[in-house]
Amino acid sequence: MLLEKRAQTPVEQRSYSKYYLIFSGILFLGTMWSVWDEVRIRRPWKEYQTAYTSMVIEKLDSVRAAAAGELDSALVLQLRDDLAKAQEGLNSEECRAAVEEKTDLQKELDVATREWRFARSRSDAAYYEYKKSLAEGKESSSLREDLAKQDASIVQHAGEMEALNTRIAGLDLVINKYKDVVDSLQAEQSKLMAPINAIDLKLERAHRAPVQIKQVMLNDFEFTPFSEIKARIDRCQTCHTGWSEPLMEEAPQPFKQHPFPELLAKHNPESFGCTPCHRGQGPALTAGFAHGDEDHYWETPLLRGVDTYATCNTCHSNELVLKSATPFTKAKQIVYESGCFGCHEIKGYTDVPRIGPPLNDLTAKTTPAWIFSWVKNPKDYNPHTRMPNFEFTDEDAEAITAYLVKIGNESEYRTMRPKGSFAGGSATAGKRLFESVGCQACHTLGENQVVRQTRGTSYDIAPELTRVGSKVSPDWLFDWLKNPRHYNPETRMPSLRLTDEEARHLVAFLSTQKDDRPANTAKLDLQNEERILRGDRLIREYGCSGCHAIKGMENEGKVSVALSDFGRKKYEQMDYGDTKELSRYGEEEYVELEDGTVGVQHTWAGWVWGKLKNARQYRTDRIAQKMPLFAFSDEEVRLLRMFLLSMTRDVPLPAYQHVFDKRMQDIEEGRRLTLRYNCVQCHAVEDRGGYVVAQYEEPALGPPLLPESQGAKVQEAWLHSFLKAPSTIRPWLEIRMPTFSLTDAEISKVTKYFLGLSKQDLSIRDYAATPIEEQYLAPGRKLFEVYQCAKCHPTGNVRPGGEVSASDLAPNLSLAAGRLKPEWILDWLHDPSKLQPGTRMPAYFYEGKGPDESIFQGDAEQQIKALKTYVWSLGARQRSVVAQTR
Amino acid sequence: MKIAAVGIATMCLIGTLVAGDVTGKIAFDGQAPKPNRIRMNADPVCMKAHKDAVVSEEVVVNKNGTLKNVLVYVKDGLGGKTFPAGKNKVVFDQIGCVYEPHVLGIQTGQDLEVLNSDPTLHNVHSLSKVNTSFNQAMPMKGMKLTKKFDKVENFKVKCEVHPWMSAYIGVFNHPFFAVTGDDGSFTLKGVPAGDYTVEAWHEKYGSQTAKVKVDASGKATADFKFTGK
Repeated sequence: MLLEKRAQTPVEQRSYSKYYLIFSGILFLGTMWSVWDEVRIRRPWKEYQTAYTSMVIEKLDSVRAAAAGELDSALVLQLRDDLAKAQEGLNSEECRAAVEEKTDLQKELDVATREWRFARSRSDAAYYEYKKSLAEGKESSSLREDLAKQDASIVQHAGEMEALNTRIAGLDLVINKYKDVVDSLQAEQSKLMAPINAIDLKLERAHRAPVQIKQVMLNDFEFTPFSEIKARIDRCQTCHTGWSEPLMEEAPQPFKQHPFPELLAKHNPESFGCTPCHRGQGPALTAGFAHGDEDHYWETPLLRGVDTYATCNTCHSNELVLKSATPFTKAKQIVYESGCFGCHEIKGYTDVPRIGPPLNDLTAKTTPAWIFSWVKNPKDYNPHTRMPNFEFTDEDAEAITAYLVKIGNESEYRTMRPKGSFAGGSATAGKRLFESVGCQACHTLGENQVVRQTRGTSYDIAPELTRVGSKVSPDWLFDWLKNPRHYNPETRMPSLRLTDEEARHLVAFLSTQKDDRPANTAKLDLQNEERILRGDRLIREYGCSGCHAIKGMENEGKVSVALSDFGRKKYEQMDYGDTKELSRYGEEEYVELEDGTVGVQHTWAGWVWGKLKNARQYRTDRIAQKMPLFAFSDEEVRLLRMFLLSMTRDVPLPAYQHVFDKRMQDIEEGRRLTLRYNCVQCHAVEDRGGYVVAQYEEPALGPPLLPESQGAKVQEAWLHSFLKAPSTIRPWLEIRMPTFSLTDAEISKVTKYFLGLSKQDLSIRDYAATPIEEQYLAPGRKLFEVYQCAKCHPTGNVRPGGEVSASDLAPNLSLAAGRLKPEWILDWLHDPSKLQPGTRMPAYFYEGKGPDESIFQGDAEQQIKALKTYVWSLGARQRSVVAQTR
Repeated sequence: MKIAAVGIATMCLIGTLVAGDVTGKIAFDGQAPKPNRIRMNADPVCMKAHKDAVVSEEVVVNKNGTLKNVLVYVKDGLGGKTFPAGKNKVVFDQIGCVYEPHVLGIQTGQDLEVLNSDPTLHNVHSLSKVNTSFNQAMPMKGMKLTKKFDKVENFKVKCEVHPWMSAYIGVFNHPFFAVTGDDGSFTLKGVPAGDYTVEAWHEKYGSQTAKVKVDASGKATADFKFTGK
């Protein structure tokens, strides 16, 4: 029973092979897929590299074909034949015999040389023995004979050697006759084929290019938030294969060449990586993760467009100008000029002077009614002012006016001249002066807005004067024009050295520039103590003293948040007020919606955009906002946003940083000074500025650009005295170099700036003692005549009313010895427009020759030296006269 | 086969041979400005060179009522065709402290010979923006300079020593240009058959364009009229 039952116990008899087959099939496919995924799908860079290699090969092939097409094929064949013939010559009877004989002789020479050395040793030994015998007092004649014999043997072997050497030299002549031909032909051939060979080399490299991850590892690059040193790993070049290949200039991403090779020359991606500038996730190997589009938790996603310049600031935070990064330079300039640092603490802007004028003596300058309407909305009087709109209510504006009028009434400022001294000018003459002496380099007036347009900013650097006649009192204006520093010792407005008469004309002209809109007739009560106190409170609250010196507010600090780490702020830490989330409207940054509300993107970038466009944007019923309204253009907002993005505390370790040496510091100080005093308004320095030049038909009629060689051009002492008291150098200029009343320290900064740019060091030289080489003086005088330099350059006192008008004269050369550095004169004569592009001075020397071949055989160097010597002597003579009359 | 080849060859030959001249006149209408007298007092050499009064060449109206010194050229329509640079050098003289000619056309790559026929200092300063600008002194009589331009441009040339001196140079990448002379007419020689835009340019009155068709007959005309203001 049991057994039966057991026999019936079901032993599994169904077949499962079907399932096994299916599941193992699935497993197999799964394995295959995972291998495929691992090897291909997750490694898109492999495909990129293969595609890149074939692109490069294709391009190289076409370049090679073009290069081959340009080759002179007849010349190539000719060369090949010639070379073959020349090589045959090496096998000729004469040459081969010579080579063989030379080999034999060489062997003989070796033997002879060895024998000669032995003979010398033997002679030394014999000499020793002989001397020894002498010392022992037993002179041995046999030893003396032996010595003589050995010496004779030396001479004999030396003679043999010389004879052999002569024969070898003779054979060399024969051999070289054949060899030289081959060598020169080979050199010619490799020169001819060089371009093609270079391409072939590249082609070979491309063909052999391995498919692999390209990684840059920067050890000890930066600190973690826990102050531990951390490395950075970049694999960007694994996909961005063509970054350094000029052939890939037009190629699509990721194969495209980097658009700014000049930047890469200083930041080599092979040693510096890519993420220090571009951010992104360096080690990631797919676009989504590397760029940060897919990985939303990566804190530093790839920077795009103009934002990329933000990272310049990590290392260059103390520089205002980066030549290869115009947007960066421009953003820094906007921050500098807009005075953001008046309210916010900003890295790199800690000791910049306030941008607004002091407000302590306003009642001498303008009326309370004008102050009131200005405080209420400055853009109403002057739409391009840098002063932002605080949107004060009438009451608030009245209170602030009351405070300013109160301190104005307490002011001790009085005009230098009695009241009414301004009267008697002609408006027509004033207009002419206004348009010629240089007012328009900074101030716009009426239709002429060239300076604003060439500057390209939404704001002016100096007030527009279209309505100034309704603003300022003529007494004050006269005092101001005569000496701006009397009213405001800190002002940037320079003195144009106007005579009383000129100043009166200008006052007359500017007084005609009235605000033709109906005047504000609001009745102001400014004496009320409570109102004055309220004004005091508002001025403190809104941080007016961030930009203006105001009596009683000397100790106020910055009223708003520090921005030095603002770039790292998270979008979820920001308050968007009542604005609508804009993402559903696509990429638009800022939209005024139909229901009267505003929409912005609720991202970091969106918040900043909204804030800079309308600073009161995010205010709600409960949250007040004090930041005033600026009127930045879209481009400026974009640049400022990039600047804010740069505000992080991430700084690489010193090894990866730009060295900010003494020279760089000098240059940077100079840049700040030239920006502060608006030197760049007239003079282009370091490829920026010179805005006023656009008003002239020809650049040479405007203020000269200051080339980087300026420091090598003028003597330091001259520059010092010129900046203290400018004098005429270029008689044709109507625009005047103003007197800025710079301090000695400031002048020294300018000097060091120019020296720094021209890579010179400050050295103390007695230019007056520069010797005059007499032998060059007479030829110099002759050349000066033949080349008719005096046609344009006066060389002594200029007679007024001569045939040549002042506008056609060139600088007086008697100034040269007291003004210029002698080496610079040489460089100048070589090629004037290289040192001063657009100059009216023509070049006299080309291809090493001067036009007159009778002097120094036309040799340019000698002639230039002679001219310099003569020009130098002109001033030297003049100066001695001055010394005597003193 | 052979016939076909010969046929194609002849067709190609004819294709290049079909070319014509574009001719025309530059009429002038209205009031011509009063000629500006040039005073050369600043340089006695210049004064001596002239017996009669010298007037500015800015606007010269010919006796037959046409305008002199107008630069006429094919502006558009040549497509990507390239033309070898002219073999002859173009002479640009400074004589009697005046540029001769006052307006000239030249091809890219063609030699411009700048000559000083005056025993005084001149400097030739090209105010070119596309081509490299040059400014060279020529202090001696008989001095010569050779210049070449590699880009298409129309620019002014002046002399700083004698501020009244000015001239204009038009650089073209083809040989189809001309400057009107004393009869105000011009001929653009050997223009291949096709449709073109021809432009006439004058330093004071600006430029005008006209559409021109050069067909198998090989003749085409384009007349322009400038009006004085």
